[in-house]
Amino acid sequence: MEWFRNLPEMDLMRSEKMTSVQLIIPVESAHRAVSYLGELGLLQFRDLNDDKSPFQRTFVNQVKRCAEMSRKLRFLKDQIHKAGLLASDLPALKPDVDLEALEVQLVEHEHELTEMNANSEKLQQTYNELLEFKMVLQKAGGFLVSGKSYETAEGTELDENVYPSDYPDSVSLLEQATQSGPSNTSGLRFISGIIAKSKVLLFERMLFRATRGNLLFNQAPADDLIMDHISSEMVEKTIFVVFFSGEQAKTKILKICEAFGANCYPVPEDLTKQAQITQEVMLRLSELETTLDVGIRHRNVALHSIGVHLTTWINMVKRENAVFDTLNMLNFDVTKKCLVGEGWCPIFAKPQIQEALQRATFDSSSQVGIIFHTMDPVESPPTYFRTNTFTNAYQEIVDAYGVAKYQEANPAVYTVITFPFLFAVMFGDWGHGICLLLGALVLIARERKLSSQKLGSFMEMLFGGRYALLLMSLFSIYCGLIYNEFFSVPYHIFGKSAYKCRDASCGDAYTVGLIKYRDAYPFGVDPSWRGSRSELPFLNSLKMKMSILFGVAQMNLGIMLSYFNSIFFNNSLDIRYQFVPQMIFLNSLFGYLSLLIIIKWCTGSQADLYHVMIYMFLSPFDDLGENELFWGQRPLQILLLLSALVAVPWMLFPKPFILRKLHAERFQGRTYGVLRSSEIDLDSEPGSARHHEEEFNFSEVFVHQMIHSIEFVLGSVSNTASYLRLWALSLAHSELSTVFYEKVLLLAWGYENILIRIVGLVVFAFATAFILLMMETLSAFLHALRLHWVEFQNKFYGGDGYKFKPFSFAALADDED
Amino acid sequence: MGFILTTLHFFVIGIIASFCTRICCNKGPSANLFHFTLVITATVCCWMMWAIVYLAQMNPLIVPILSEGE
Repeated sequence: MEWFRNLPEMDLMRSEKMTSVQLIIPVESAHRAVSYLGELGLLQFRDLNDDKSPFQRTFVNQVKRCAEMSRKLRFLKDQIHKAGLLASDLPALKPDVDLEALEVQLVEHEHELTEMNANSEKLQQTYNELLEFKMVLQKAGGFLVSGKSYETAEGTELDENVYPSDYPDSVSLLEQATQSGPSNTSGLRFISGIIAKSKVLLFERMLFRATRGNLLFNQAPADDLIMDHISSEMVEKTIFVVFFSGEQAKTKILKICEAFGANCYPVPEDLTKQAQITQEVMLRLSELETTLDVGIRHRNVALHSIGVHLTTWINMVKRENAVFDTLNMLNFDVTKKCLVGEGWCPIFAKPQIQEALQRATFDSSSQVGIIFHTMDPVESPPTYFRTNTFTNAYQEIVDAYGVAKYQEANPAVYTVITFPFLFAVMFGDWGHGICLLLGALVLIARERKLSSQKLGSFMEMLFGGRYALLLMSLFSIYCGLIYNEFFSVPYHIFGKSAYKCRDASCGDAYTVGLIKYRDAYPFGVDPSWRGSRSELPFLNSLKMKMSILFGVAQMNLGIMLSYFNSIFFNNSLDIRYQFVPQMIFLNSLFGYLSLLIIIKWCTGSQADLYHVMIYMFLSPFDDLGENELFWGQRPLQILLLLSALVAVPWMLFPKPFILRKLHAERFQGRTYGVLRSSEIDLDSEPGSARHHEEEFNFSEVFVHQMIHSIEFVLGSVSNTASYLRLWALSLAHSELSTVFYEKVLLLAWGYENILIRIVGLVVFAFATAFILLMMETLSAFLHALRLHWVEFQNKFYGGDGYKFKPFSFAALADDED
Repeated sequence: MGFILTTLHFFVIGIIASFCTRICCNKGPSANLFHFTLVITATVCCWMMWAIVYLAQMNPLIVPILSEGE
């Protein structure tokens, strides 16, 4: 036992020893100290200003400034992205630009960019308008020419003829127009413009209704697409010319044009003037194009120069933001010259933290050093496990269920091996195992490349679990060799089968079966079983018993871990009134069942174990008859039954009463303690919590103990049965594998046609890859996980701790992504 | 006899694997204990698997009855 106690502590078994620390930092070195601590990443700060709102905190202005800067940086990043430039992925250079200078620079850049953007917006709009004008000139010119000839013809007729009263409207309009004598030569006026093609029909109808039909509407589609600056898309537009007369009609038409977003451009009637204006417009268009180009190039140059530094700047601002957030967690002390902070750090990290703080004092040329000392913890410390890339995946699996309480046994130590092993029991096929191994090796070989890339969530999970996958595949190959299944085909790797025909003719083989003439097959399941009619009864019996044996073994391991926990926390109460009755109960029932299984296998007896177990409870004093496996079985069974019955009240009753007695004793001594602590504690730290009086609620403790005991007693039956999923899933895997092999591959291979053979091979490959390799892997993974989380861990695991989250710049980078 | 011999084999393989792990990655006593635990757990699991399957076939109650297709 002495040797046992003198063993060094195992690496991952219990959380690193944490200590509560207090920092007193003079204001001038505060920022630097927190930055260096962030780089180190080994101190978790406690938020001393929990009750304050974000606006009541000390450094709220700096936080606001950082937020503003990161907004500007986001804006710049957007602009770079929109301009289609790639942000350069240069490695972050040591930031030698300080924060204020960066702020000023950012303000400048943002201002510059917004100006450039506004200018190019305006230019673009002008460009669009000119483009539209050009198109209107081109098309509308055509209408006007024909219209003019039309109206001059009408005009001459007017002069000569007298009209009857029921002449069509358009003529009387013309008459009206000539009588009123407008500035236009004919009194017929027009509006030309351009409108989106989708709205033309509605527009025309609206105009028709508004002018009561007194108009002429001509339209022609534009040749090119035009950029609609509201939606930034290229739309098709139609050029229209509306002929009308009268002032009221004009206002109505203009209003309708505005409502529909149609742009009106004045087109002169004179042909020469048209040509002149068209030329001017073309000239201006080409000028604008060059101007726009120059503008865009200028902007791209500016963006490029920003883009080079952008990642560095973003990181810097993120860090500063984090530093100020952390500084906000600290408190000013009474003299207002120091900041006081509290936190947690692992004991091994204390020298490193001291060194970082000394560096900070030196670098900020402060006269006063930073005080760093341990404090008595007021609450339970966070849990910290130092994992490497291999153990990280398993620790995360355990943490997903619940983070270990401080210094309780970590199930991850055993999960590293038992989880892949139970997976393999359900997955056992060495052909599939080799496929998984190849996949795992590929992931591990490309580790460096894949870890720097950004992967999708599924690939990320797969990559994170690559070492778990490696172990899973290795154990699968082992279990596959034991089950003797290579894509469901057995091989005679380990020697000849133990079975042969009874006589040379093998006539009996199909009725009575083979006979065992040698020792059992040395490694694994005998290959003669595959394909036989009695294969399933044999394998089912084997696998069910195997599941029970593994289950009892793992549950015993769990209870042993609870024993080690009790020893570590010096809780002898738990050992005597929880560990011992639990061991007795579990092993007198299910440990005994495992023993019976092994004896039955060794002796080859025909006893029916179901009967043995059931009648052990129902009629323990009866004679066993042919179910007797060994001498003295009946008295042993009675003894075990009695121990199990005694164990139940043993784990239920004593503990609450003893706890009450202990609490009463402690409480009597407490009354003197209250008088002692009434002297004022001069060094009381502001904001740190104090112990509060614990009440002992007997009924609560008793109910808790009752629940715990009932859970254990009933759970022992259900958990043992739960392990039968090991049998169920391995059976399912084996059956699926057999079906695909026999009904797909062999069937296709039976035909002589090469095409059918290839199709069969392809279907077999796809079915194996998707159903067996992917679905079954996930399924076995899930069930192995459940067995660990529930059946193994509920024997000893508390899992109500919290994880150690140090203030670290490295973690920031991960967080954002 | 075959059972005990092969159990001995597993035991020896376990010891050799522990030594190999100690030689290859010797990272201090607590890490060594951790590696040792892993190796022993793996050995015990593998041995249990083999032993169960071997014991089940030592004195079988049923024999393979070939089906018609053979």
